[in-house]
Amino acid sequence: MSEALAAALAAEHAAVYAYGVIGVRLSGGAAEQARSAEAAHRSRRDGLVLLLTEQGGPVPAAEPAYALPFAVTDRASALRLAVEVEERTGAVWRAALPATEGAQRTRALDGLTDTAVRATRWRRAAGVSPATVPFPGRPT
Amino acid sequence: MVLTCRVRIGNTNQTIGATGRSRREVVRAVALAALVGATGTLTGCGLFGGEPDPPPAPDPLAPLITGALDLAGRYETTIAAFPELADRLRPVAEAHRAHAAELARVTGTALPSATATAPTPGTGAGGVSETLGQLREAEQQGREAAAKACAGAPASRAALVGSIAAARATHLEVLR
Repeated sequence: MSEALAAALAAEHAAVYAYGVIGVRLSGGAAEQARSAEAAHRSRRDGLVLLLTEQGGPVPAAEPAYALPFAVTDRASALRLAVEVEERTGAVWRAALPATEGAQRTRALDGLTDTAVRATRWRRAAGVSPATVPFPGRPT
Repeated sequence: MVLTCRVRIGNTNQTIGATGRSRREVVRAVALAALVGATGTLTGCGLFGGEPDPPPAPDPLAPLITGALDLAGRYETTIAAFPELADRLRPVAEAHRAHAAELARVTGTALPSATATAPTPGTGAGGVSETLGQLREAEQQGREAAAKACAGAPASRAALVGSIAAARATHLEVLR
């Protein structure tokens, strides 16, 4: 269980980093959406740090920087990265579902659901259609 | 006392319905019933009749399959009534069909053919906003049902059911 949740923490660290890059390329409602998404990822990250610390297992720390899958130079690439960050983080939460039960299963499902909803919002903001995928988090 | 359930003789862990009576209690109850001439209440219980065991309990995910087909039908009826919503709603209808197919695969059940699925009555009878509101309500209930099923699912099914719950949450975004 803690291995899957440690992977989720590593993903949340990366998501927080990515939103720092994404936010500066956005304005207006999209910038607000990015701030709210970043706050949500910080909150999940903090929850995991607490939990994993209590359990006494490994607690992955944030890297100083992360390699992005592509350069973020404008609004379009920022929105594309936001979609990708949510999809990748969602996949990690989904992978935690079989490894967990009870309250931690619920935590993993909440993580997967929130990332799926945000990915849908970002796809709509980017004009990507359809804005939904049939099986969020499933490797394609 | 009503005995409406099966009792398998020879099973060391016999129970009756939700009351969980032991074999000795059952024997005593049967004897009492015979004494007072009330054996009629035992008819159909299968205690002495050697009736075949009832079919196995349905898969716990069976209601999720029914729910996915019902949701797909609701969207398809809505698209037929309001073609202007097709671009928006068709991917959602297709997702529900894909969920039903995948659930049928993992549970080893056969889906009813598309024509056998009865159209959902009432859907599309009102205006667009009323219809979308009904879809939201149905989708929200479906989302809660899937989340509950995910919480109780064995590890081998947790990811699939979790993805379905998450997908239904994203459908609510599309209906906004």
